[in-house]
Amino acid sequence: MDLLLPPRTFRMLEGLRVSPRKSQPGRVRGERLTRRAGLSIEFADYRDYAEGDDLRHLDWNVLARLDSPVMRTYRDEEDLAVHVLIDDSPSMAFGEPTKLMVARNLAAALGYIALCSGDALLPVRLGRREAPLSALRGRSSFGRFAAWLGREVADDAPTSLSTSLRSFANSRNRAGVAIVLSDGLDPEAANAIRALVGRGHEVWLVQILSDLDLRPDLEGDLRLIDGEGGRPTDITANSIALRKYQENLRQHNESLADAAKRGGGRYAVYETSRPLEAFIRDTLKREGWIH
Amino acid sequence: MNFARPDAFLVFIPLAAVIIALYLLRMRRREMQVPATFLWPTHTEEVRANTFFQKLKPSWLLFLQLLALAVIVGCIARPQLVQRGLTGEITVLVLDSSASMGATDVAPSRFEEAKRLARAAIESARPGDRIAMVEAGPVPRVVFSLSSDPVRQLADLQSLQVTDAETDVGEAMRLASAIVSGTEGARIVLLSDGVFERIDDFSQGKASVVFQSIGKSGENLAIEAFGASESQRGKLLFASVRNFGDKAVTTNLTVFADGKVIDSAQITVSPQKSQSRTINVPAGSTLFEAKIDAKDGLAADNYAALSADPAASLQVLKVGGEDPFLDRALALDPRVTLDRADSLPLDGGSSYDIVVFDGVPAEPTTSRGVLILGKAGTGSPVTASGTAKRPRFTGATTNPLMQGVDLDGVYIEEIEVVQPKGSAEVLARSAAGPLIVADKKPSQRSVYLAFSPLESDFPLQIGFPIFVSNMLDFLGGRAGEGPLVVPVGRPFSLPATTPTASLKVPDGDDVRLKSNGGAVTIREAKRVGTYSFRAGNAERKLIAVLQSPRESALAPEREIALAKKPVKSTDAPLRFADFWQPLVLLGLLVLSAEWWLYARRS
Repeated sequence: MDLLLPPRTFRMLEGLRVSPRKSQPGRVRGERLTRRAGLSIEFADYRDYAEGDDLRHLDWNVLARLDSPVMRTYRDEEDLAVHVLIDDSPSMAFGEPTKLMVARNLAAALGYIALCSGDALLPVRLGRREAPLSALRGRSSFGRFAAWLGREVADDAPTSLSTSLRSFANSRNRAGVAIVLSDGLDPEAANAIRALVGRGHEVWLVQILSDLDLRPDLEGDLRLIDGEGGRPTDITANSIALRKYQENLRQHNESLADAAKRGGGRYAVYETSRPLEAFIRDTLKREGWIH
Repeated sequence: MNFARPDAFLVFIPLAAVIIALYLLRMRRREMQVPATFLWPTHTEEVRANTFFQKLKPSWLLFLQLLALAVIVGCIARPQLVQRGLTGEITVLVLDSSASMGATDVAPSRFEEAKRLARAAIESARPGDRIAMVEAGPVPRVVFSLSSDPVRQLADLQSLQVTDAETDVGEAMRLASAIVSGTEGARIVLLSDGVFERIDDFSQGKASVVFQSIGKSGENLAIEAFGASESQRGKLLFASVRNFGDKAVTTNLTVFADGKVIDSAQITVSPQKSQSRTINVPAGSTLFEAKIDAKDGLAADNYAALSADPAASLQVLKVGGEDPFLDRALALDPRVTLDRADSLPLDGGSSYDIVVFDGVPAEPTTSRGVLILGKAGTGSPVTASGTAKRPRFTGATTNPLMQGVDLDGVYIEEIEVVQPKGSAEVLARSAAGPLIVADKKPSQRSVYLAFSPLESDFPLQIGFPIFVSNMLDFLGGRAGEGPLVVPVGRPFSLPATTPTASLKVPDGDDVRLKSNGGAVTIREAKRVGTYSFRAGNAERKLIAVLQSPRESALAPEREIALAKKPVKSTDAPLRFADFWQPLVLLGLLVLSAEWWLYARRS
């Protein structure tokens, strides 16, 4: 599997940063300003001197003019937890290229941005039972991340997207930006995303859909076998059924978007036939996901 | 509504069972893997099947197919509606165009009313109905044969015109019967006022006869007789006017001699009575006319004409059997008025110009001329001595009576062997004896033919009508060149030395006529009035008159007799009209709906 992005894409990603809508508490000092006072060079406010304060932050000019000791305070800088959740459920194996491959490439791009901007990258594979990877930091960690992405995980009993998301939400993960790269084709996906939001994560849902999902070219009397292992469904693929499918898909996608945006998150649909660079440029950058 | 073939419904059950059995088959579906199935509607359409069996489910397709089958079976069962109409599936319309149909008691005339009914019948005919039309005119003819082309039929109907003549409705009905009598359910529709001779010889076969009587009133005044006679005071004209109506009528009777009024009188005629008038005729007149100015039902019989030339009118009495060839040849002469009798009247035929003995022995008569055919008698110019079989023609004289007549090659089965009496002259001779003998006495002229025309093929020869014409000239005297008064509508022939001739009819049109064997047959004198006949440089005035008590008695008949079987007038009989065309349309609509539904679901 070719996970390496072309050099042109890497150049495009240089200097970009993940742009969360809200501030998230950091664990270690990083390059991302927080609301808390800290030690960065970013001026925040003045306050009265208190005993024990670091005299290096005393504003000597104010003391000289007003004869009153005033302390300068600065904003703190922390890292941001960027959870990249890749849906590896069976439904992601459809499409040409497969939705999973598109998700991995997009994850590589977003992960590179996070690593380069000093954020903590926490990759998770949804739908497979796998030990979680520890937080990755720094550009040098991209190699490990790429290797993780390229690894095939065999699992005889894959779990559904919603189950995996609920499991992630219930784990003691640090709150941050949860970038979910999935086709969302699970009737409980919206509820699972709401659970994720409820745990304090800012959910960014990129719904990756193939032509087969968006414009199914089916005809005749069929027995549909569910890629996720659900019950087979007998249909007559006529104009009525196709219209009904489109309507159901629209409603399902709206519920996913609503669930993601309710907690201040973001939502976008990524068609597998669309080039990655175009999606990053025209959707992620233009809509402010990254800057 | 009823069905012509109700047994067709028996096929509905097995065919419906086949269709239902097809719906018991179920679909073996093609399996296909998709990312997720929860977005797909669970509703399925069972429009195809390829394996056994399933429970029968309600289906619009099944319903529509059964409905289409029911409609198709309904079509096969030939549904029919009962409705009123003159026409059936096969109809012959017989249109009476006799003089009485020109009566105006029904506006604008009885004939136009008959045309209106015929037009309505044609226009209301269903597609596929076949209609023919026969005009009961002076010579019955097929106007259009059985067809279902209303445009052409209406055009042909429009061209029909009423005549002022007597017509042969019986012959027209026989013609109609010949067209459809073998067809079950066919219909002969007679549109007439019923004013015609009783029809005894008629067989309708499998066809039914519908008679629609046209006309309301019999009010009519007519000149029923107009003649001349010699008396001690000179020539007298006799005119008789008859009132055929139920009310007394006063009218002016005016008599003309060569176009000048010689008498005019107001007369009142009682209902169903006649009023006559006798007038002295000025000497030297050639043509007499009589007119009445009554505003009655029929104008054609308000005029009469008479030629002063005695040879211009020949009253002929035929005694003996039936000989249509002779009758036709006699009728072709415009001067002839033919009467028939089984035996000679007691007055010895003195009121007739010529007496014809056809196959019966000739008796002495007082007429101007006598024609004896086949059997010599006491009144004949020959004495019979026996018979001879198949004689051979040996020769004829150049007598004017034999001009244009060639007996050479004529087959004769048997002749009387005779000897001429007195001054009688043999005009044609065979090896067995004389064939034609003529006698020219001052008081009476006679011609004897040694065989009956029906026992030879002489009537089929072109010389036969010429012989009859020559014989009439010889016996009655050749008519002058003055106006010729002819019965309206009756075909007649006139000599013509040129290949073509023309006839100027009363409305001013010229009709071109072809000469055949030195004579022209005129059939166009169907309206009362003055005609002008021209052949080369010769021109002759013809006056067509209607003197027919039968046509003048306008009272319409509500019941007629056909071969002694009464037929009552009816407005519009009932008929069964096929109803399958709308059902076929419905079937197509159902099948279209079924196909649309199938295409939409599959």
